[in-house]
Amino acid sequence: MNEPIIEITDLSKFYGKDRGIENINLEVRKGEVFGFIGPNGAGKSTTIRILMNLIFPTRGSALIMGKDVVRKTKEIKHKLGYIPSDASTYSSMDINEFLNYCVRFYDVTDGRQRIVELTNLFELDLKRKISDLSMGNKKKVSIIQSLIHNPLLLIMDEPTTGLDPLMKSIFFELLRSENQKGMTIFFSSHILSEVQTLCKRVAIIKEGKIIQIEDIDSMRKKQLKKVTIEFSEPVNIEDFDFLITEKLNTGQENVLSFLYSGNINELVVFLTGKRLNNLMIEEPSLDEIFLHYYRI
Amino acid sequence: MNGNLFKKEFKRNVFSLILWMIIITVLITVTMAVYRTFAANQSKVMDMISLVPKGLIQFKGVSSFGDLFSVLGFYAANNVIYVMVLGSIYAIVLSSNILLKEEYNKTAEYLLTFPLTRSEIFLSKSAVLIINILLLNLVTSMAGLLCLELVKNDAFNIKPFLILTLYTLLLHILFGATGLFLSTLVKRPRPVTTFCIALVLILYFINTLSRITESVEKLGYLSPFTYVNLDVNNPAYNLEFLNLIYFAGISLLLAVMSFRLYSRRDILT
Repeated sequence: MNEPIIEITDLSKFYGKDRGIENINLEVRKGEVFGFIGPNGAGKSTTIRILMNLIFPTRGSALIMGKDVVRKTKEIKHKLGYIPSDASTYSSMDINEFLNYCVRFYDVTDGRQRIVELTNLFELDLKRKISDLSMGNKKKVSIIQSLIHNPLLLIMDEPTTGLDPLMKSIFFELLRSENQKGMTIFFSSHILSEVQTLCKRVAIIKEGKIIQIEDIDSMRKKQLKKVTIEFSEPVNIEDFDFLITEKLNTGQENVLSFLYSGNINELVVFLTGKRLNNLMIEEPSLDEIFLHYYRI
Repeated sequence: MNGNLFKKEFKRNVFSLILWMIIITVLITVTMAVYRTFAANQSKVMDMISLVPKGLIQFKGVSSFGDLFSVLGFYAANNVIYVMVLGSIYAIVLSSNILLKEEYNKTAEYLLTFPLTRSEIFLSKSAVLIINILLLNLVTSMAGLLCLELVKNDAFNIKPFLILTLYTLLLHILFGATGLFLSTLVKRPRPVTTFCIALVLILYFINTLSRITESVEKLGYLSPFTYVNLDVNNPAYNLEFLNLIYFAGISLLLAVMSFRLYSRRDILT
């Protein structure tokens, strides 16, 4: 379980003078469901594209299953599945033709059975032409092609784009089941709630650099609390500045919401004597915690 | 090379191959159909030709007006534009897109993540390119030979025809290699078809200009069309060693450079 399946060491990629990623170090262990989060342009796709050998690193190295992603790409890809962020695929083919084309690249004996099983699960008609499919259905085809050879590692780049909530839930259920059978999952997304649902550990990437790698649970268990105060009379918000770790937007003039990392008793003492309509102290959502990390 | 990729790629291009074969074959047939009328009116045609500048005949690549009246001379002079120019356009358009289309159609995201090396992808696609060029040349030359047999007034020597066919094939392979090379130079993936067609036409124009204008004769060396000898009625007509080296050398050099560039290319879709 603790054996690494992805090892990234001092990995950098520059596009001419433009930064892609810089000195990234990351380790994903066998059997993990690992989240990789950050906003658009942070370097998630660049990292993944290096792992998939679509682009070459400027510096550093990346190993998958102990093998270099540049030199041993073919060996690695026999056991690797990939869901690209863009679901565009061979539009002149029908689903059946495309999936059979994909499966023939792998040494699998039950490919046909797997195709039928997965297309049934995602309610896809094998005879439909890919060019006629909606974005969501193209995404389903993309998901299926990544799983037909029973990979040991699945790398996903924004895999849920275009999927409706029902399909998303079927997809997550499938991922959980594959993970229980031993498949490691590397899940890149900018949607934290999805990462939260599925992943045990997460790396946060900002402007090409990893700023935090943490267990989802310990991320939640940090002392951060979300405090929402509704005042019954106008107050000078600046008086509260010393309490605020991260100010949250409420959209209401008389409501102040913020992340608080200090002693809860001190907060209560400070608020004593203030005229309040309401006070809520609760666990922040992962999105709110992420916002805090991202502004560090 | 990967058989699965080869088969799919061949299938993907077969329709356009058949279309190009039909177009070129029809053009050859239509042109050769007028040969007998042309040859039957030799004296009238000679009177007309005497009025036009010699250069206009020279651009056809024959050494004397009379050569145009032999069936092989007529074939070489008139079909060059169809077989050589159109075939070259076919070769360069196919080759410039064969790797690049995976990128601008965003299918490289799949292809390059299957268990394949870049070498296997390059070799499989190049094999499709070579086979398509060979098939196009085989069918169009067979059509040409059939037309020659049908319209000939006298027997003709097959050897110059075969040499001309080989020159055409080498020219197409050279443009095929050029297309591959150009596609590996493109930074952001987008079709380069228009540029490739323009390149063939410009090189053909340079060749034509150098044949008819003595002052720019040397410019012709820039064009691969110059290295195709069309003087099929010349008794010394043969496959020239230096021309052979030119075609094979440049094609091989471009193919090797394309392979090296593709092997280290960042796939940005």
